[in-house]
Amino acid sequence: MEYGKDYGKAEMMAVAIIREIQDGDIVFHGLASSTPMVAMKAAKALGKDFTYVTLSDGVDHDWQNPPKVASTLTANTYEGSVATFGLDEIFDLYASGKGDIAFLSCLQMDKSGRIAMSVLGGKDYDHPKLRGPGGAGSATLTPVTKRTIIWKTQHDTRTFVPHVQFATTAPAVDKPFTVITPLCIFRKPVGEKLLKLDSIFPYTTVDEVKANTGWEIEETDVTVLDPPTEAELKALKKVDPNGILYYEFK
Amino acid sequence: MIHALRAGAYGIPFMPVGGMWGSDLVALRPEFFQVMKSPFGDEEVVCVKALVPDYAILHVQEADVYGNARILGPSYQDALMARAAKKVILTTERIVGTYRMQEEPKLTAIPHFLVEAVVELPGGAKHGICYPEYLTVDWDAHKAYQKAVKADEVPQFAAKMLEGRL
Repeated sequence: MEYGKDYGKAEMMAVAIIREIQDGDIVFHGLASSTPMVAMKAAKALGKDFTYVTLSDGVDHDWQNPPKVASTLTANTYEGSVATFGLDEIFDLYASGKGDIAFLSCLQMDKSGRIAMSVLGGKDYDHPKLRGPGGAGSATLTPVTKRTIIWKTQHDTRTFVPHVQFATTAPAVDKPFTVITPLCIFRKPVGEKLLKLDSIFPYTTVDEVKANTGWEIEETDVTVLDPPTEAELKALKKVDPNGILYYEFK
Repeated sequence: MIHALRAGAYGIPFMPVGGMWGSDLVALRPEFFQVMKSPFGDEEVVCVKALVPDYAILHVQEADVYGNARILGPSYQDALMARAAKKVILTTERIVGTYRMQEEPKLTAIPHFLVEAVVELPGGAKHGICYPEYLTVDWDAHKAYQKAVKADEVPQFAAKMLEGRL
């Protein structure tokens, strides 16, 4: 395997996202999700055989449409679709157990995978320091999605905290739950309640991950993920001539 | 929200939802969320209260003068909102002849009998997106809008926008 040399956190995260997709999967991601959007198009370019449903109603849109902005609500995830399938239908599909992956994000998370999307800080829910973008979609999808995967482009102790005060959603005990950051991958195994450090990216160390995570990490001996291959990097460049992948990493 | 609107459209007081387990939202808003046992088994389900908006204001690409509307791009939950609301006001990029609907009735997303009023308003979804008429958000206008909201000057902002002075 020929590995690429010219890559950074953005490419590594996108590649980690791509590698989560298995042939036959039905995959969805949320609003304002430039990182998974570019990764999905690249996964299609790499020939992965999966179904990609989007918030803009499109089903398997033409992955060659380059994203022009970081929004995931534009024509580029709609044009060239083979069918339309609305968000209400996507929720139904996942609730009936037919959806494989939902790529979602968060404002904060704790070791139980409890996610803050609605509010942060302040006195209470009605008087927060920060009101988030909503997150009822996450609350609906996380418990019913076969493999919920959280992507978060910041890895620091403000994001990964000891305890989330108000959890918009939390992982189902009977399902796997994965978190992809710019440094590593955490996984919650089926039947367990806590996240474990699963693997780290080639440019970091367990110590760096520990220093930037607000909960205790017991794992010491973890896999170092393979760097992006030349083919993966080429696919990312091909589908994203406008560099939308880097929007979250500015 | 979708399930709440569905309950509204179906004329029933609440609706069970798939998911929602583990969310603190359920306990926080008992006036909107309740957990109940299935009458047919032991499963527990989260239920949401029906939502019946007084008005749904929806922007479409094409409507005739009677309120038959076609949504040519992504339709999101617009048709559902039209069925859940007490009254519907349409704004449309253009008024078309009813023959357009008769050519392909299946493409009519909202039928006239749900609609109270139709307003011809080209560019009505700006500074947002209306596929395929305008495809990207006008961020400068959006920032001006946010500023107007904070300054409590939305009517002045709207006047400027309508007069093309933005």
